[in-house]
Amino acid sequence: MSTPDAPASARPPWAEFARGMTAPERAATKPEALDDLLVLDCSTGNFAGLFASSILAEFGAVVIRIEPPGGDVARQFSPDGLQHHGTGLAYLVEGRNKHHVTLNLEDPEGRLLLRRLAGKADVLIETHRPGQMDAWGLGYRQLSQLNPRLVYVAISTHGQFGPRAASPIPDHDLTNQALSGVPYVTGEPEGPAGPEPHAVPTRQGNWAGWYFGGAWAAFAAMAALAWRATSGRGQLCDVSPAEAEARMADYGLHWYHSHRQIWERGGAFNPSLYPYTLVRTRDGYAFLAGFSDPNWTGVTNIMGRPDLRERFPTMRDRTAAEKQPEIHREIEAWSSQLTSHELLEKVMDYMLHKRGPGTVATARVNSPKDTLDERHWWERGVFQHVEDPHYGRLLLQAPPWKMSRTPPRLKWACRPVGADNPRIFARYLGLPPSELQALRARGVI
Amino acid sequence: MAKEQSYFEWTAELFRREGLFDKPEALQGIRVLELTTLILGPSTADFLGEFGAEVIKVELPPGGDTMRYVTPRGTFWQNASLGFFPENHSKYHIAIDLHKPEGQALFRQLAARADVVVENFRAGTLDRWGIGYRDLSAINPRLVYVANSGFGQWGPFSHGRASYDAVAQTVSGMIQITGFPGRPPITCGIFIGDWFGAVMAATAALVALHHRRRTGEGQFIDYAQSEGLIRSLDWTWVYAGLTGRDRERVGNHDRALGAADIVRCRDGFVAVAAVTDPEFRGLCQAMGTPALAEDPRWATLAARLEPAHAEAVRRQLADWAADLTRADVEAAGEKHGFAAARVATSRDRYEDPHLRARAAVWDHEDGLYGAMVEQGPAPKLSATPGRIRWAARPVGWHNEYVFRTVLGLSPSEIQALEVQGVVGRWAERMGAKPPEGITADGSIA
Repeated sequence: MSTPDAPASARPPWAEFARGMTAPERAATKPEALDDLLVLDCSTGNFAGLFASSILAEFGAVVIRIEPPGGDVARQFSPDGLQHHGTGLAYLVEGRNKHHVTLNLEDPEGRLLLRRLAGKADVLIETHRPGQMDAWGLGYRQLSQLNPRLVYVAISTHGQFGPRAASPIPDHDLTNQALSGVPYVTGEPEGPAGPEPHAVPTRQGNWAGWYFGGAWAAFAAMAALAWRATSGRGQLCDVSPAEAEARMADYGLHWYHSHRQIWERGGAFNPSLYPYTLVRTRDGYAFLAGFSDPNWTGVTNIMGRPDLRERFPTMRDRTAAEKQPEIHREIEAWSSQLTSHELLEKVMDYMLHKRGPGTVATARVNSPKDTLDERHWWERGVFQHVEDPHYGRLLLQAPPWKMSRTPPRLKWACRPVGADNPRIFARYLGLPPSELQALRARGVI
Repeated sequence: MAKEQSYFEWTAELFRREGLFDKPEALQGIRVLELTTLILGPSTADFLGEFGAEVIKVELPPGGDTMRYVTPRGTFWQNASLGFFPENHSKYHIAIDLHKPEGQALFRQLAARADVVVENFRAGTLDRWGIGYRDLSAINPRLVYVANSGFGQWGPFSHGRASYDAVAQTVSGMIQITGFPGRPPITCGIFIGDWFGAVMAATAALVALHHRRRTGEGQFIDYAQSEGLIRSLDWTWVYAGLTGRDRERVGNHDRALGAADIVRCRDGFVAVAAVTDPEFRGLCQAMGTPALAEDPRWATLAARLEPAHAEAVRRQLADWAADLTRADVEAAGEKHGFAAARVATSRDRYEDPHLRARAAVWDHEDGLYGAMVEQGPAPKLSATPGRIRWAARPVGWHNEYVFRTVLGLSPSEIQALEVQGVVGRWAERMGAKPPEGITADGSIA
């Protein structure tokens, strides 16, 4: 075995090198990983489907977004009903990089046009109730005969098989979250006062069910495409956003299996880790972590309280239900004298100057506008002001991955309903303007 | 013949669990080398492994991954932490001291034979050890290298700042938009930033492998979990951009969907979402107030999103559900076509026959730990279903197997590496060591 010849010190610093490879301002000059793929997004009122196709579109796939002639109801999902140029705010985020066409799938003519598109497509995403597309002759059973290479992604709360698969309930974020087990373990526990409106199982504020489901759907499509490259064959990917989020529900099943313990919500306290918690500061709240033994040494050094690690020396001590509030009071007595920024400065001073053992992490609880005020995200291209020809200037979150050869990108924000009908139907199906006009008159597009 | 089958008969057969192991795997032939700790890195590799990649997990001897010590109330199970299982399936566990030049050389040899490397050390650590992307891409240009972190590989926050899942929740703004107004902020009950980050990072690895199939080129991926959560916050940023306002937390209802909330019933909590007009009509039928759906204040989604109108429906919903059971509300959703689902506990999921039938809750008999019940692979792929082969293993469990079969080292060479302390195995410590009655060579005493 040999060791490297060149000393590492002769090279430019890692951060500089990494930035050179992945600088977002150069993304547009590089190739796109998925620009050989055609994706159809037939999702309906569903941001799991929309997020899945956004991911593929960010990596360069040509995504045709298929809406009913009046527009998808997802365009109405918006805080307090707020509309911007006729579209809700949530859709403005996930319309990105997609070509927007209309097709009435209730109409046999519309279904025939979708079949023709599916014959050319690599991936189809849909979120109808299980069996609906099949009943229309547009399910995987039928489309795979037309196009055996098709990867068909079906998204639905209870999935395409199993005792509840035939359930008629629509796929919604909140019910997906509820079934995942995550809200049950999130939120403030009931206090001695009994039931209170805020001391209940708590949902994530964002559409975690839909976004997790969508991310898994994109993963499934990419895995199926890898298999297609080997076998030449597509397949049916059955994605339940409830199960997608449940895959991430830590070790609740394991704990029930091993000790018949039901994991309960603990508010500030995680049953496995302490400190790993939000603490009061002079100007709000901050997160503070240092739960392993060396890292707890770090926390107690920064606090100047070595006595605490003698009183609570092991992870078992620190995760005992009766001891956690006691340690919490000690930490808050100290942290509430500091601003969140002063707390961060103290931690960074300890870490960067290696003043003692242990890795300690802290962060101020940011409001979204606090996050928008931090330079780090703007330098890294996490946010982008998109100049959209129809919707104007929009502040959007950019794709989160930095990649050296095929960086994903945000090219346009959204399109009005059916705006791409002429171009897409001419390009893929050869439909001339007169025929489009006739289809429009018949309510097909 | 297929035409005579109903859709659900057909899917039941297509996804039959019996014979699952006789089907091929989407990522067969892909080798993943991971050098990771906690959840973000390990689960990125795990998700690829569930779909057929061979995963070699490298840990630092003798303690290994910190997650080996994260377990509720300090309770170990058969000498293992419960926290180590859900992100470490079917892996080959080896232990190399990467502080030693010989250990670094060994890692480079493994990376030369890998398709994907996943790491989640602080930015620049592997580069300093001579095993970063610069070193590995020089010996293996086809390598896809995934660097997971809290803040990315470059940028103001990337220098020396530690991160955990909940740091990402904090800095992204997720915490500020979750929970009840006027109450202290709360973290998510699961390690949401890690898990979501992992599926996003694993998807990017698959995208990079797609590009590699087209060009032969590997690449570098910089994924920051905070940036992933920022991406997942749906309309938060466009709302700030258009209105200048910060998104506030509003509890369990959904400002963008209208009638969606978590409500208390007699035996627990249930989530209800009735968003489109037909769904809302169904809910009103169920509540015994069909006239509500005809009232102009609630007849359209736009009207229902008016805060005062939404509030009135929420009160009505809470009153209606209070006297019912969770099963009653779910049955009403089935009957009337709106979404209703229990806020599931770990026990609910453990005992759910639907989830067992789908192997979303996966039971298996492990060679080391016996009967296990865990969450199964999230998406269900008809031709190449994901699977769990075995559970996590003690530190260094597969040293001999991997060094012999992958690097062709002889038993005496492996032993020499052990004597030099380059290769190691578990400490006699809870979390690192095998269950009682298992001998050091891995056989059962």
